[in-house]
Amino acid sequence: MSYVNVHKRREARAAYVFLAPWFIGLLLVTVGPILASLYLSFTDYSLLEEAQWVGLGNYREMFLEDTRFIASLRVTTIYVIVSVPLQLIFALILALALDRGLRGLSFYRSVYYLPSLLGGSVAIAILWRKIFGSDGLVNGVLALFGIEGPGWVSDPDTALGTLILLHVWTFGAPMVIFLAGLRQIPQSFYEAASVDGAGTLRQFRSITLPLLTPIIFFNLVLEVIKSFQSFTQSFIVSGGGGGPADSTLFYTLYLYLKGFKSYEMGYAAAMAWVLLLLIAGLTGVSFLTSKYWVFYGDTK
Amino acid sequence: MKFSSRTTTWTVALLSVVVMTTASACGGGSGGDPAENGKVSIVFAYWGSDARQKLTEEVIKKFEAKNPTIDVEGDFSSWDSYYEKIATKVAANDAPDVMSIEIRGLSEYAGRGALADLSGKVPAADLDQQVLASGQIKGKQYAVPTGVNAFSMVANPAALEKAKKELPEDTSWTWDQWAGLAKEISATGSGVTGAEYNFNPAFLQIYAAQRGEKFYDGNKIGMSAETVKSWWAIHQKLIETKGSPDAAKSAEIGSTGPEQSLLGTNAGAMGMWWSNQLNALTKSSGQEMTLLRMPKAEGATTGGMFLQPAMFYTASAKSEHPAEAAKLIDFLVNDPDAAATLLSDRGLPTNAKVLAAVKDKLPAVDQKTLTFIEEVKSELSPIQAPPKGALEMEDILQRNSEEVLFGKATPDAAAQKFLSEANAAIAG
Repeated sequence: MSYVNVHKRREARAAYVFLAPWFIGLLLVTVGPILASLYLSFTDYSLLEEAQWVGLGNYREMFLEDTRFIASLRVTTIYVIVSVPLQLIFALILALALDRGLRGLSFYRSVYYLPSLLGGSVAIAILWRKIFGSDGLVNGVLALFGIEGPGWVSDPDTALGTLILLHVWTFGAPMVIFLAGLRQIPQSFYEAASVDGAGTLRQFRSITLPLLTPIIFFNLVLEVIKSFQSFTQSFIVSGGGGGPADSTLFYTLYLYLKGFKSYEMGYAAAMAWVLLLLIAGLTGVSFLTSKYWVFYGDTK
Repeated sequence: MKFSSRTTTWTVALLSVVVMTTASACGGGSGGDPAENGKVSIVFAYWGSDARQKLTEEVIKKFEAKNPTIDVEGDFSSWDSYYEKIATKVAANDAPDVMSIEIRGLSEYAGRGALADLSGKVPAADLDQQVLASGQIKGKQYAVPTGVNAFSMVANPAALEKAKKELPEDTSWTWDQWAGLAKEISATGSGVTGAEYNFNPAFLQIYAAQRGEKFYDGNKIGMSAETVKSWWAIHQKLIETKGSPDAAKSAEIGSTGPEQSLLGTNAGAMGMWWSNQLNALTKSSGQEMTLLRMPKAEGATTGGMFLQPAMFYTASAKSEHPAEAAKLIDFLVNDPDAAATLLSDRGLPTNAKVLAAVKDKLPAVDQKTLTFIEEVKSELSPIQAPPKGALEMEDILQRNSEEVLFGKATPDAAAQKFLSEANAAIAG
């Protein structure tokens, strides 16, 4: 008996010892800086000088005076609202197509997943810049039809559109999750439905879609969180400034510019916290509304 | 399964390793530890190309050979990430002992107490005193200029010839004439665009000076909205007459360096660049370029051009080895041996003796720049370090200029917005 207890305690101790590296890392590298940034968000910290307490000054300036902050919020919101649904619809369509027992499925799955792995990278952003440049591939193709295209990435009217396209193109990750979700739906449902005379569309609407809502919900929350934090694409495609004329000024890019270009680290920290609250709020709303449209097979 | 005492020993060892590495990670990098065998080690931070890194490593070796007790560690990064790196290191109390800084960052760093006063520590008697003054803030010599540049008009004579145009008389030409020439060159159908414009604050500074206004007047913008608007009118005129590419195409080219520019790719005849960029333009285009004076505003009494230090050497205020840091800076600006390696990489040397010693070794392009600068020297305006916050000026100017050229804002509104944003940036 006592031997077991001693053993258990020893095991627990060993577990803590093995947990320690991770835990120390978490405290020093994650929790510490997070709390420090909360403190800094109430200061005028410039990186080069000691921080001075300014209370809510940063937050007040952000919402009342800083027109670029509002502009960056606008650009980011448009980006999220347009690109996330488009990306999910695209992912779902491809998942449905791939789910029809295609031969070489794993090959196609990998191919379509590839952009998701690459999409956030610097290399792809540079490639995008080239493709949508005024002498780029897109305009080259358009020229074949006698159309003279604009410089897509350097025209403020179209620049954000190219970034949205880049995001939609990285549909692979949600697609793979959709595929897994589709596999979870019992075939017997479809068999029963077709016996009752339901067509493909009807089956999709009444079986696939409802049973897939938990997956859609999951993908939606994940992608909204991810796209609010997009940085690389706009940083590279706009050449680091969110241009032309602030048309691609993502929230995180503006945060970075404030912190590292204007030396307003306190302000940047405050922006990070506003972003955190914003994302937490949106996620909260998604969870609250989910009970009205997400259907879990096991509840009722 | 029983834990042997050996296992316990292992876990303890593992844990202590973890604790030690984290502890040393926190305390690490304080820099300047008294190095082995009595040497003092200092860090020298700079940005630039691979070519500059090679030259700098070479010059560091020369310095170490002359000063066997000093160990210099070059800390190199690309321009894009340079200030982030420096700012972070300063914040972490780990500032490099010697830092390169360009003129727009000078007030930022000196004003925030990051730089040491070098007066009397680095001999400066042989340096061009007027240029040297640009490294002073409130009477303290925080920075020593590495060399000088002038923002000027660069023309490709071959491209002009192709369009059957002659090199203009640059002592008296006006912006209108320049834009007219650009239009004519584009219109010849030789495939060469007349000119490329830019939003470099140096361009606006020169233009404002020609209208009798200062870009910076102390901690305020000294330009009127009228000046900014008529400066944009030059750009608009170029676009309308096709003397330059349209706004989108220009934005695309503008965000890249001299190698990708119209001049650099033999697709344009004229552009405005810093004189030390002549090298890159010449190399990438394979053409011999000519430096010209900037055109003037109608009725201007001054050309408004100015010499600007390519960059400065500065020392950290918190360096543990200020004497050694000063010694390195002294070597870099005053020793002909250093200049023999660096040549004009950091601008043309301003030390008259050093310049005389290396003059003949300078490549042809630099000889040309030197001749040009000496020719226009008497017409140049004095330089001043722009106020704190000037690092942001280029972004602010570009943003508002783009809004005008893309038709997103009226020149009136944009000029007001530019002035208020610019004033806010430098007010702090």
